[in-house]
Amino acid sequence: MKKIVIEHIARVEGNGGVTATIDGNVVTDVKFTVNEGPRLVERLTLGKTPEEDVNLVPRICAICTLSHKYAAIRAMEKALNVKVGPKVKLLRELMHLGEMVESHALHVFYLALPDYVGFPNAIAMASKFPLEVKIALEMKQFGNHIMKTTSGRYIHGENPVIGGFGKFPSRDELVWIKSRAIQFMPFVMKTVKLFAELPYPDIPESETLYACCNPPDKKYGIVGDEIILSTGDIIDVQDYKRLTNEFIVSHSFCKRSQYKGKPYSVGALARVNCLGERLEGEARKMYKKYFNARWTKNPLFNNAAQALELAYSFERIPEVIEEALMLPDESIIPYGQKNGKGAGAVEAPRGTLFHAYEVTKGLVSHADIITPTAQNAEDIERYCYITAQKLLESGQEEKIKDRMDLVIRSFDPCISCSVHTVQVRRAPEEDWKTKIAKIKTDVSPVIVGIGSAGHSDDGAGLELARRLRSQGVKDVWIEDETLEKTADWEMDERRPLLFVDAVDFGERPGKITIIPLQHAAWNAVLSHRLLPLVTHRISFDQLKNSYILGIQPASLEDGEQMSEPVLLAMEQILERLKN
Amino acid sequence: MPDNKLKIGIYELTGCAGDALLIFDCEEELVNIFKAANIEAFLMAKSDNNDEIELDVALVEGSVSTEKELRELIEIRKRSKALIAIGICAGLGGMQANFSNDEAWAKNFKAVYGEAEFIHSKALPSKPVGDFVKVDYYLPGCPIGKEQFLSTFARLLAGNPPELFRFPVCMECKWHENDCLLNKNIFCMGPLTAAGCGAVCVNHNLPCVGCWGPSEEANRTAEYRLLLEKGFDPALIKNKMANFSGTRIFEFFAQFKGDKK
Repeated sequence: MKKIVIEHIARVEGNGGVTATIDGNVVTDVKFTVNEGPRLVERLTLGKTPEEDVNLVPRICAICTLSHKYAAIRAMEKALNVKVGPKVKLLRELMHLGEMVESHALHVFYLALPDYVGFPNAIAMASKFPLEVKIALEMKQFGNHIMKTTSGRYIHGENPVIGGFGKFPSRDELVWIKSRAIQFMPFVMKTVKLFAELPYPDIPESETLYACCNPPDKKYGIVGDEIILSTGDIIDVQDYKRLTNEFIVSHSFCKRSQYKGKPYSVGALARVNCLGERLEGEARKMYKKYFNARWTKNPLFNNAAQALELAYSFERIPEVIEEALMLPDESIIPYGQKNGKGAGAVEAPRGTLFHAYEVTKGLVSHADIITPTAQNAEDIERYCYITAQKLLESGQEEKIKDRMDLVIRSFDPCISCSVHTVQVRRAPEEDWKTKIAKIKTDVSPVIVGIGSAGHSDDGAGLELARRLRSQGVKDVWIEDETLEKTADWEMDERRPLLFVDAVDFGERPGKITIIPLQHAAWNAVLSHRLLPLVTHRISFDQLKNSYILGIQPASLEDGEQMSEPVLLAMEQILERLKN
Repeated sequence: MPDNKLKIGIYELTGCAGDALLIFDCEEELVNIFKAANIEAFLMAKSDNNDEIELDVALVEGSVSTEKELRELIEIRKRSKALIAIGICAGLGGMQANFSNDEAWAKNFKAVYGEAEFIHSKALPSKPVGDFVKVDYYLPGCPIGKEQFLSTFARLLAGNPPELFRFPVCMECKWHENDCLLNKNIFCMGPLTAAGCGAVCVNHNLPCVGCWGPSEEANRTAEYRLLLEKGFDPALIKNKMANFSGTRIFEFFAQFKGDKK
């Protein structure tokens, strides 16, 4: 077995890694790890005032600082029943757009583009693309400038507070931002063209679910009191847990999310998929020109979506300023309420961000923060798996590492909020033994022998199940594919399933491998016959904990006789499973 | 021709990556920074990082929060002539070092992650870099200031040590001719907080939150008593003093144990 390790994913903000394990031509394991130490932010805000919370939580992430600030303020204002005026809302939108411009410009030009044009970093890229690098820098600087003007600083500005702003930007400052935004438009349109037309490879294409905030009035936007999914489902932000369903994995300090048992993606691509039809102006024209089916299933198009959102942002900024200039400054809304509960959501550049608080006697008594990268982690792992498996199948093993790197980076993961590296490794020879031992220490699995009788080695799973039964092993089921009806196995949701089957993974006959059942759900090619068996019959938790124990067949021809190596492998498995 | 440029590495441990981002945000100067010195490692900005080379200066951001980070830090220190802690996470432990002791941290870790066991790296209570290795210089800030970083960088190139402000935010606040908020009975952390931000919060009509960490010259005991006299709640005073000061502040609080509320 072999491991591909990306120890540090360079050019992302933060600290994380991916390890892919390969056995023959199957990927047996993919783990997306957040190495960043846990900071327990939700715990350290407890007992603090709402104002202190709003000071502290933006420090979760420097690049999403204002998204955190804004989400926290929205949650607190909901909890404490604070209603702000129209000018405050507009200037919050402006600061948020500033962060979107800064983050997207940084990501598309500096972190993503070097991969597609073959440079290790943006500074080196400057030799061949001097104009792009320079204007990109100016664009990012412009985003920073908006953030500074509205929030007080480039990073961790404290000017936005519960109830309003400490100080409003002057008319001159706003007019300058407006005119500068308009001047940028020709270059912004070139940016959309550049990133929409990049040669994004097909691997890792695969359908997914998308989620984002549902902005009011059927407009494109980056905040909302509702969440919209690509399925059309709408969820109230106060019920955000219906979307996020957080859980912990042992290989990462970053919690995970799934919606109805499925991974989902958030971010620019999610927003364009859910809300793209609502775009207006030049952004709409570009959307109509470039959006196609590949955008709905290829995470690499996130870079194109980000560029499209740059167009949206640069068109929206002058509108926001024009409206704001008509309105008088508003003083900070005082509040007297000491108790309350509320959730707030905003679209951070890399996806939906939730903050939820409970305030008791004027102090934070409960805090829950769910970051975009935490929600994307499952899909990042799934897409890395698909990338590795498909490249392996098409004989492009040498591309795995770089391609996984590309996939991870396309998600624009912000790993300080919760990611650095890709590893590809060969699984150790006796990996299956270690894993079986681990599964058995937790809870004894239900064993399902699978195969078709009369096709030589393809009967291995069936024969093995029969032998286990004859040795007195309980809860063993036999699933003979040559029979019309599937076996009526009983289900205990708490117990994992262990399928025993002949699996062609391109190794020497008789070699044994262990593959997470999840991979079969992601990859029909791997085990087409398993899918109908499992998809409607088992829960997500069970799917996560279940495995396929595969034996490399020598032959699948018609015949009753199984090959010598497969028989030997069966003996070994029998030995391990019987007690 | 031999290259005499300084070899600099920029490293991120646990934190918000704001100090590294601040360096990245020196847009106009960034190209010159890369020209003037050999930036051997800077994960946020480049992928061809050299993790074995001997360095003249290592800039380290973030607190030590996992065993893996601790090993990395020790290894970075070994191959660096000088190490500069950048930002309050590296210098003091940061906001994540706001649990009064290791037991309190362990209790809170359990509250978040339950009994889950992690296989990739063991988590540690966040501690400043200086708890484990020698720190030659410390740039305060959350995040560090652009001016202070650039001046430090320029001094390093010339072979000089950084020159930092020793006074509190109040000094910068007076330069900006702001009215004192404490005189208006608004809880401001200015007198206790290291200068360098340019009194940005007060310039925005808002009280200082203390994000640059404690000022060396501040008389904390006297300020604590003054704030009590002004009628602020002792729990609030302690929280505000602790928010950006790291674990060490709890040793300071020990002297007030007998105070009644």
